[in-house]
Amino acid sequence: MRALIAATTGLALALALVLAMTAMGTPSGRTSPKPLLSTVPSHP
Amino acid sequence: MRRRASLILLACAVFFAALSPLMRWYAFPRLARIPANQYQDMVLEAKGATLLDYDHIRAKKVSKVTIVQTLKGNVEAAKKIEKTAGRPVVVWDSLSYVQGPDGKMVSRVPERYIFDAHSQDPVHATGETVDGDPVTRQGIEFKWPFLTQKRDYEYFDAQTRTTSPIHYKGTQTFRGLKVYYFEQTIPWTKVPMPKSMPVEGITPETVAKTGTTRWYSTVRKFWVEPVTGAPVYGEELHKEELRGGSLLGGRAKVTAFAGDVKMREDYIEHTVALVKHNRTLVLMLTSYVPWGSLTAGVLLLALALYLEARARRPEDPAPTETPEPEPVSV
Repeated sequence: MRALIAATTGLALALALVLAMTAMGTPSGRTSPKPLLSTVPSHP
Repeated sequence: MRRRASLILLACAVFFAALSPLMRWYAFPRLARIPANQYQDMVLEAKGATLLDYDHIRAKKVSKVTIVQTLKGNVEAAKKIEKTAGRPVVVWDSLSYVQGPDGKMVSRVPERYIFDAHSQDPVHATGETVDGDPVTRQGIEFKWPFLTQKRDYEYFDAQTRTTSPIHYKGTQTFRGLKVYYFEQTIPWTKVPMPKSMPVEGITPETVAKTGTTRWYSTVRKFWVEPVTGAPVYGEELHKEELRGGSLLGGRAKVTAFAGDVKMREDYIEHTVALVKHNRTLVLMLTSYVPWGSLTAGVLLLALALYLEARARRPEDPAPTETPEPEPVSV
């Protein structure tokens, strides 16, 4: 019974970690203020 | 004490073992995405190209034609489309600006490309355009999906506004990176005139009145890093002709552009460095963490079982005391 509780705890922690990571997701940020270029940049 | 340690190790083993598939098949599709606010520019050059001299409507050799391509993620438009699409969306507003050797504009073609942030599948919404013309893209453009496969893909050609296969031609090594080489040939096809023409007073409408048409053919080559799906190098054998009509003064055709368009060296170095960095991030989700945590899980489980077995082993019997011999009285 104690082994079952330990395994469930490990599984729950893994699920919680992955769900938290994906819930935070990737930040969308803001549209860059830089223009679409109509001149040749000197470097990247 | 040993039994308590083995229970903790068991919990850790299950944690790591469960983390492995969760990271690969749950977190990866949700975390590996093109950022909605990406901004990227690229410079391509065609040295020794042929370009149309609009003053005399003749093809002439020029030292160099430069193409500046900018991609800019439109976050506000992406959020708006996401509400109806029900999936993460990226909206790229792009501009292909072509400049002659004298620094003057040859053409400028804006595009809006809307696609799924993870799979790169096209998403259809109002505003999906090429040079102001509404289009319905099929297939990919600019970038391949994460974990690119060794197979042909459907690739959208902005000039013809059509989709056709881009063929996988083999695996190569490019500047220390394993890449997949893809090639697409677009046969001679009649295409619309660009909305922005290099000479004032000449518009697509005035050209159309002369009966002259624009034709285009290209061989498109991409070297794609398969983990990120990002092209690290590209080349295009690009040809354009004007055919027929009174504009050509009786000639059947005139070359409008012909050149081998290649990425500029400094942009190749920059792209390779960027892709190498992003490759590591994607591998963390698809390989390093899943395999590492699975290995840790198995090792911890083995250790937990070992400790548990030792805790259950019956203890050694206590040494039996031999009684002192008692004196015997006779």
